Amino acid sequence: MDKNTKLIQKTALPDALAALLPDYRVFAPAGENERLAFTRIDAQNAFALCLSGTPLMPPKELLFPRSETLYGTDIKTGDVSLPQTAGPTAVFGVRPCDAHGIANLDCAFLEKGYVDSAYAARREALTLIVLACAQIPYETCFCDSMGGGPAGSEGADVLLTETEDGSALVAAFLTGKGRAVKALWAAAGLLSDTGADATTKSANPAKAPPPCNLRISKDKGLAAKIAAAFDDPMWARFSEACLGCGTCSFVCPTCYCFDLDSENRGGTAEEFRCWDCCMFSDYSRMAGGHNPRPTKKERLRNRYLHKLAYFDERYGRTLCVGCGRCIGKCPAGLDIAAVIEWGGTL
Amino acid sequence: MTNGQKQQLIRDRAAALLADGAVSCIVGWRQTRFAGKTAVCFVRAPEDATLLVWNEYTIPLTAKYLADERWTGGKAGILARGCDSKAINRLLRDNQLEREKLYIVGLPCEGKADERCRPCRQKTPLVYDELLWEEDSAADGGGTSAADADAPGRGRFFRADEVSALGIDARYDYWEDVYARCIRCYACRNACPVCSCRECYVDMHRAGFQSKRQNAADNRVFGVTRAFHVGDRCIECGECERVCPMGLPILGQTQKVIQTAEALAGAPYEAGLNAEDENFLGKFDLDDKDAFM
Repeated sequence: MDKNTKLIQKTALPDALAALLPDYRVFAPAGENERLAFTRIDAQNAFALCLSGTPLMPPKELLFPRSETLYGTDIKTGDVSLPQTAGPTAVFGVRPCDAHGIANLDCAFLEKGYVDSAYAARREALTLIVLACAQIPYETCFCDSMGGGPAGSEGADVLLTETEDGSALVAAFLTGKGRAVKALWAAAGLLSDTGADATTKSANPAKAPPPCNLRISKDKGLAAKIAAAFDDPMWARFSEACLGCGTCSFVCPTCYCFDLDSENRGGTAEEFRCWDCCMFSDYSRMAGGHNPRPTKKERLRNRYLHKLAYFDERYGRTLCVGCGRCIGKCPAGLDIAAVIEWGGTL
Repeated sequence: MTNGQKQQLIRDRAAALLADGAVSCIVGWRQTRFAGKTAVCFVRAPEDATLLVWNEYTIPLTAKYLADERWTGGKAGILARGCDSKAINRLLRDNQLEREKLYIVGLPCEGKADERCRPCRQKTPLVYDELLWEEDSAADGGGTSAADADAPGRGRFFRADEVSALGIDARYDYWEDVYARCIRCYACRNACPVCSCRECYVDMHRAGFQSKRQNAADNRVFGVTRAFHVGDRCIECGECERVCPMGLPILGQTQKVIQTAEALAGAPYEAGLNAEDENFLGKFDLDDKDAFM
């Protein structure tokens, strides 16, 4: 019997969240329809949990907030103040694509000798309790074409997979952070043995995940092929219908560009950073007014090449995780999966 | 006539216009790989006209794309419904388009699978070079019948009416909730056919008009600015709401501006009915009463 694989009843999940509350700030998907969001859970609303869908806004903002003050300076005294760190945080119900996305963000914010201290502090304090997809949440999902899958464990501290009859979840505690969760759940009497025999792999009660709705073929040489197509006329075609909004970037679990600015608030000069988007005209505008990406064609090409080529060149992994949100929400019907398929044919 | 027959007419006509060189391109709709979702497309070769579709999901406005600088070189063919024609009128009025560089193929609309199309009063285009078929007044779907217009939540200003029905504190909470959920992706701005500034004030963030911070307070600055900036030119197409990834009910903002203008003027007001009318917040008259000065 694998001591780090246990069973937890679905009916026990509110108690499981409550068991984390003394030690963590807890977030979980809650809310109806378009209000479904990773929501701060307290003892009162632990029962509002939603297991069926996944929020449009990915959990990346727990690590990389939409806006954050980096430091403030008192205008009169010159005293500098730093924001408080939030402390241990557990997020429940993250889907495998988003956990994979966080693993990708880790590369950008923590690797190659550049450590973003604000991100690093939050990442160190974050425990990811991942819920494998028993139902595929969006018709645009294609994670299993992008090296992940509906039961993928990349980035997960705990991986929860539904049992065959759907009444319980098989909980795999994969890391030290995950085992800290296990200790709390075990102490609350919420875990039981799976009945599976690890040596023979018999009677493992976890249900195999369904395939994604959208299946594409991603070429092994995609990064090199698509980067070499920088001047291809298809970029103009792909971008024709683009409205140049920031929807794709802001719903993306792996877009991490930000802007830095400062503002006076009351008597304090605040240096802040906030999400930025490479589809906006001011993103690449230089101080003198020149814009090396003057139209949506150059901006869209940059966005896709960053996802599919440049990140791969630097970190050896494709940045896009196939969550499908940008495809589902693009008001102009742009489709990164179609670009990936095209890139493979080059 | 069925949608399938209309679609065939569109394809045939687009192919003919492209083949004889009347237009360099047709702006229309294609099917995406997802059922129920179409997207605007640009057809340049007669043989590609088979990409064009017409059904209850051909919802996005085609007219917005005409304001793009790409069209300064050639004559564009555009498939236009009533809403698109109102947008074209507005863009002509604002000197964003030249009429002689457009060839407008008018498509009387039977209403689309979107609640925002329901109050539409302008199914047949107001400006066109040719109409591909006549409006079928018996068509079911879209348009507001006389009885419907009086029903709560069904009239022309249905979204504004939802908010007006709330008490004043509830209204405040309603908009606070909207702005707290807004992600300021600017899809509403970019899809709007009357948002035609070459450089939007929000992209001039060094000027200090609009902070780039994402929070309810700064989102509210954008929402209120947008409502007043486009409210009197709003053609009531509902694209702002359709494209909002967060599902925010923002059409009510411009509806409220129009509703208020009608009440103050004591006269009907609708933008885009022709390419000459002034927008009411953008005009002045030397005989205006200026009691406030």
